[in-house]
Amino acid sequence: MGAGPAGAAAALTAARAGASVVLLERGPFPGSKNVYGGVVYGRVLDEVLPRWWEEVPVQRWVTRRSTMVLTETQALTVDFRTVAWGEAPYNGCTTFRSDFDSWLAGKAVEAGAQLVTSTVATGLIREGGTVVGVRTDRPDGDLRAKVVIAADGVNSFLAKELGLLPSTDAAHLTLGVKEVLSLPREVIDERFGVRGDEGVDVEILGCTRGIPGGGFVYTNKETVSVGVVVSLEHLTAAKVRPEELIADLKAHPAIAPWVRGAEVKEYAAHLIPEGGYDHFPTLHADGLLVAGDAAGMCLAAGIWLEGVNFAIGSGLAAGRAAAAAAQTGADLASYRKDLESTFVLQDHKRLRKAPGLVLSPRVQGQYPGLIADLVEGMFTVTNPTPKPGVVRLLRAAANKHGVKLRHLAVDALAGGRTFR
Amino acid sequence: MLIVALLRCTDLRAEVDPLTGAVSRDPRTASLSAADAAALEHALRIADTWGGRVLALTAGGPEADGPLREALALGAEVRRVPLHSSYIEELAVDERSLAKLVVSALGENRPDLVLCADRSADRGTGALPAFVAHELGVVQAPGLVALQVEGDQLVAERRLDFGRRERMRVPLPAVCSVEGAGVRLRRASLPASLAAANATIPLVDVALPASPVRVVQARPTRPRPRHLPAPTGTSRERLLALTGALLSHEPPTVVGPVGAAEAADALLDFLVRHGYLSEARTGWAVP
Ligand SMILES: Cc1cc2nc3c(=O)[nH]c(=O)nc-3n(C[C@H](O)[C@H](O)[C@H](O)COP(=O)(O)OP(=O)(O)OC[C@H]3O[C@@H](n4cnc5c(N)ncnc54)[C@H](O)[C@@H]3O)c2cc1C
Repeated sequence: MGAGPAGAAAALTAARAGASVVLLERGPFPGSKNVYGGVVYGRVLDEVLPRWWEEVPVQRWVTRRSTMVLTETQALTVDFRTVAWGEAPYNGCTTFRSDFDSWLAGKAVEAGAQLVTSTVATGLIREGGTVVGVRTDRPDGDLRAKVVIAADGVNSFLAKELGLLPSTDAAHLTLGVKEVLSLPREVIDERFGVRGDEGVDVEILGCTRGIPGGGFVYTNKETVSVGVVVSLEHLTAAKVRPEELIADLKAHPAIAPWVRGAEVKEYAAHLIPEGGYDHFPTLHADGLLVAGDAAGMCLAAGIWLEGVNFAIGSGLAAGRAAAAAAQTGADLASYRKDLESTFVLQDHKRLRKAPGLVLSPRVQGQYPGLIADLVEGMFTVTNPTPKPGVVRLLRAAANKHGVKLRHLAVDALAGGRTFR
Repeated sequence: MLIVALLRCTDLRAEVDPLTGAVSRDPRTASLSAADAAALEHALRIADTWGGRVLALTAGGPEADGPLREALALGAEVRRVPLHSSYIEELAVDERSLAKLVVSALGENRPDLVLCADRSADRGTGALPAFVAHELGVVQAPGLVALQVEGDQLVAERRLDFGRRERMRVPLPAVCSVEGAGVRLRRASLPASLAAANATIPLVDVALPASPVRVVQARPTRPRPRHLPAPTGTSRERLLALTGALLSHEPPTVVGPVGAAEAADALLDFLVRHGYLSEARTGWAVP
């Protein structure tokens, strides 16, 4: 259910394994309704679609990745670029979901899956606790199946229907909003210092008025995506409209020169599951598997925002497990074991503490200012007063932002443990 | 009985470059306009009642196959006359040769009824139905907002000026072009959609007849630049002029609650009083 990356990947492996597969999508074509920031890390496709990079509908290959810390008036950027990411097998690419999802679903159709669009799955058909199909909004719309894969994205109604997900879970959801801004290609090349197919991925901390979250800027061929991802609960409590945060970001002295004169082409918003490993639902039930965002598999840990690759990874595994179950009656529990042996659960497990740490009040509210002040102090030439030492600057900055050095040590240790 | 639904599948949300006027269309969002969908629904309803068959025919590129599969899932036969061209080239095709093309694509199958949209969403001259009627040598009923079978008669309703309607009997064979009103295209069942999902759409290979119209040049319309004088006055004055904030004006009037007839009278009265309608043109007596 759902022709996003998870559903299309599941349909691809299941159809290749010889199962009879229907891929149901509510939109008029795959990806038509889907929203994300902009970068897909495609290496997950190496095994199933060798040389995928030759045909993936790419906007730009990310060869430059910057991590930015902002305060209202300051910006500190760690900027990395490498030629290697601009050559096969590449690292990440910016791509539009309408193109990418259509392409991936097309691969599933080539493998033998049947794609039915403009059709909403409205519920599960159950017999004695076992899922035996789905209901859809079409006339005569019941579809019986040996296995149903819920790949219907965040806030999955199918997983909720079985009680695998809580009915509301604002604490583990963030809201992502973005604008797509149109600029001529040469202007983007010039402003971002890239050429040809090269693109830039900028992840930003400290740009959300203290609401836990972060921001991003990605370059496409002739557009730039600018957005923020913020905690749903804190956004509500702060009574701030998300578009105000994007407006702030676009007006920031470090960002404004990039987007000056650009025309807004699109505005979009979407939820992101951000609970991580500790909040995954049960991944299977009798006759049902849950994959991708429906299972909360988006890795949203501050400077990482990877959902599509995790959706594909879990989808591929779900397709394999479903085909085995349909053909040989294998146990669907093999799905979780399979996931545990891949990056999907291993990365999530390793980074399970990352969302908590990156979204913690100190990292969000105090450290951006502290770091920016420290760097400003280091590089401000105060003659005739002699240069202050770094330790003195650090103390002063920590004091100003209400951070005890003890906190710094604790968080550094926690960071070391989380990202080890 | 053969009912032909002549459909145009096009991107209804094509992008127009504000500077160059160039139109870019996305084949994935090609679909039927509300009027095309209404034409197909009328065809299906009439065929249901009179036991006819429906042929959905379109001239266009492969982007039309999606909507045609939907028509197939609804029980229509489908055919496509392959016609690949850019938006500009399409605009340059004269409707008369297009009408000849679709009629020749029908071959020996003379339809009893042709249904199509009153005008296409993206070309919009509304001339095609008349040319098709001419090519077939049958009558034409354009601009219909309702069409139904009453016994063995086909009764149509047409919108006239000043809110009037015209009801007429349509003798067959005929070409009826409809507005996107009154009916909604039914949804195909899931089994039928599944069966149609990978169906190949049969192509009818007929060439576009030579056109008596010679196209000299086709290019996007680009509005001429207009010289706008710099605004005068202060920004405050301009804001006041734009919003009329300090001008005296008639305060909003709440009439009612009243019945529908009284409300309509009050509205007409208001329009007449403010010069939007003349009593003579409405033909209504205003109390
Ligand atoms: C603002 C934002 C920025 C992001 N940035 C990135 C990024 O840069 N890189 C990255 O890798 N990830 C990013 N993500 C995360 C990423 O978008 C998701 O993790 C990913 O799309 C999950 O894929 P999925 O297939 O599980 O779900 P989805 O992509 O949500 O797909 C679900 C599909 O199911 C369909 N569907 C839903 N309900 C039904 C139903 N009842 N019946 C039929 N069909 C249904 C939907 O139409 C959709 O096609 C971002 C997310 C957001 C919101």
